[in-house]
Amino acid sequence: MSRLVRAEWTKLFTTKVWLGLLLGACVMVAGFAVFFTAFAGNPEAGIPAVGTPLYEDLALSTAANANILFLILGIIGMTQEYRHRTATPTFLTAPQRGRVVTAKVIAYALVAALFALAVVAVNYLVVAVHAGALGAAPALDGDNVTTLASSLLALTIYAVIGVGLGALMRNQVGAIVGGLVYLFVVEPIIRSVPATAGAYKWMPGGAMEALTATLAGPELLGAWQGALVLLGYGLVAAVLGTFLAVRRDVA
Amino acid sequence: MRVEVRGLTKSFGQVRAVSDLGFTVEPGSVTGFLGPNGAGKTTTLRMMLGLVRPDAGGATFDGVPYAALPQPVRTVGAVLETAFHPARSGRNHLRVYCRAAGLPVSRADDVLAQVGLADAGRRKAGGYSLGMRQRLALATALLGDPAVLVLDEPANGLDPEGIQWLRGFIRHLAHDQGRTVLVSSHLLSEVEQTVDRVVIVGAGRLVREASMDQLRSGADGAGTVLVRSPEAARLAEVLRGTGSGEVSVDGDALTVQGRTPAEVGSRAFAAGVELHELRAHTSGLEEIYFRLTAGQEQFAAATTDQESAR
Repeated sequence: MSRLVRAEWTKLFTTKVWLGLLLGACVMVAGFAVFFTAFAGNPEAGIPAVGTPLYEDLALSTAANANILFLILGIIGMTQEYRHRTATPTFLTAPQRGRVVTAKVIAYALVAALFALAVVAVNYLVVAVHAGALGAAPALDGDNVTTLASSLLALTIYAVIGVGLGALMRNQVGAIVGGLVYLFVVEPIIRSVPATAGAYKWMPGGAMEALTATLAGPELLGAWQGALVLLGYGLVAAVLGTFLAVRRDVA
Repeated sequence: MRVEVRGLTKSFGQVRAVSDLGFTVEPGSVTGFLGPNGAGKTTTLRMMLGLVRPDAGGATFDGVPYAALPQPVRTVGAVLETAFHPARSGRNHLRVYCRAAGLPVSRADDVLAQVGLADAGRRKAGGYSLGMRQRLALATALLGDPAVLVLDEPANGLDPEGIQWLRGFIRHLAHDQGRTVLVSSHLLSEVEQTVDRVVIVGAGRLVREASMDQLRSGADGAGTVLVRSPEAARLAEVLRGTGSGEVSVDGDALTVQGRTPAEVGSRAFAAGVELHELRAHTSGLEEIYFRLTAGQEQFAAATTDQESAR
């Protein structure tokens, strides 16, 4: 298994997709952090003032917004095998295809954890510098470290969900577009419609919100429950994908 | 290592792509897997390697199915596709599979040199020509130094020089190194000089499994020798005098029945007759291949329809 995991890392780091996604995530998170800090204390924006615990909680969890890029990282990791037809040599090397999917889940979880560490570090540094300039840099105390760690965990799990979704769909463009539509259209609707809002806490977005919750919203699970639900989505997708899609004929 | 295919069957919807197909591939020889496009060759090869699930039957490598081989890459090497991640270099592509198979990454450079791609190894595979892609696919197959090689239309996209190289390389792999080689093609003429045995399929069924010699002996015009000589008439007299079968003269050309080129040559030499050309008549081989496989593609759909109607 360690051979297959290392092979996945070689695949990932011998093209430049990872660099684009990592830089994109860092820039995106830095942008969000600057935005939140700039509007902190503005009564019309509804963002609490710099120096309050609620502001720090909010500004230090902007990293979680990069979840879509981590989802895409996982999706590409799985679907590139079909897009570029390297599934043939990959499955010739490892005829038990479940082992390939398992190796990808492990490889991408570990890489995503590393990338997420960079993203939350950027998140903290930008907030520390910007809020510091405004008079109150957040300390790396227990609460704030927990906030950052929650984002790190959420981003890591989203990469696993990406691998699972990619295994289910096999089609790269379809999986990415489906993921975007789901996260930015379907879930916001479920979240805001009263009839369905109760189910939102069980959805991936609701589970992530439970893990990294900040703004007021519908009822959510506890943080650790959210993490488990989120991870469950990723692993269930990977297992279903293995049996329903990946084991199909590679013609 | 002996490869055995038994009872292989696969349908795609209504179309029976492969039907109760069985054949054997022997070590130390090159077996041509021939049939027109759409005869089920690629599907068969993919089923043998566990990429496509057969409806029935299967293939074994010294008795073991592909998926159960403890070290598949070190046992069987396959060229099935010439698709690579366009942004990854050929060398890195090979290194991926070195890692996955637990081979030293230095094997990547070894096989690149073996297929003549050493200079292009660090370039992105997306910029490779079709011929270079074929060579990279072959390099991938050779990574594990496998006992069996399965090559699906490996000459596609190669220039004449590349085809010449490939023929020599395939013969070397089988005859000098004792590997088992199965090479598919839709043209007999393309592999005629390379293969020792042929497995001919049409419409997913076995049409003929034979050695090249057996195939030749069954061909029209087999046993015919063509000779050209400025003294054609005198050579005809000499050959008739030694009891050769039918000899016909047309200008400086002779057609001799029932004699091998060696026999004709030695009689001409003994009589001191100058020869400009001496060869076995082999055009019949292409004819027999055509006759064996003619119309099989069209039959595929019709046969299935009849079967399902019954």
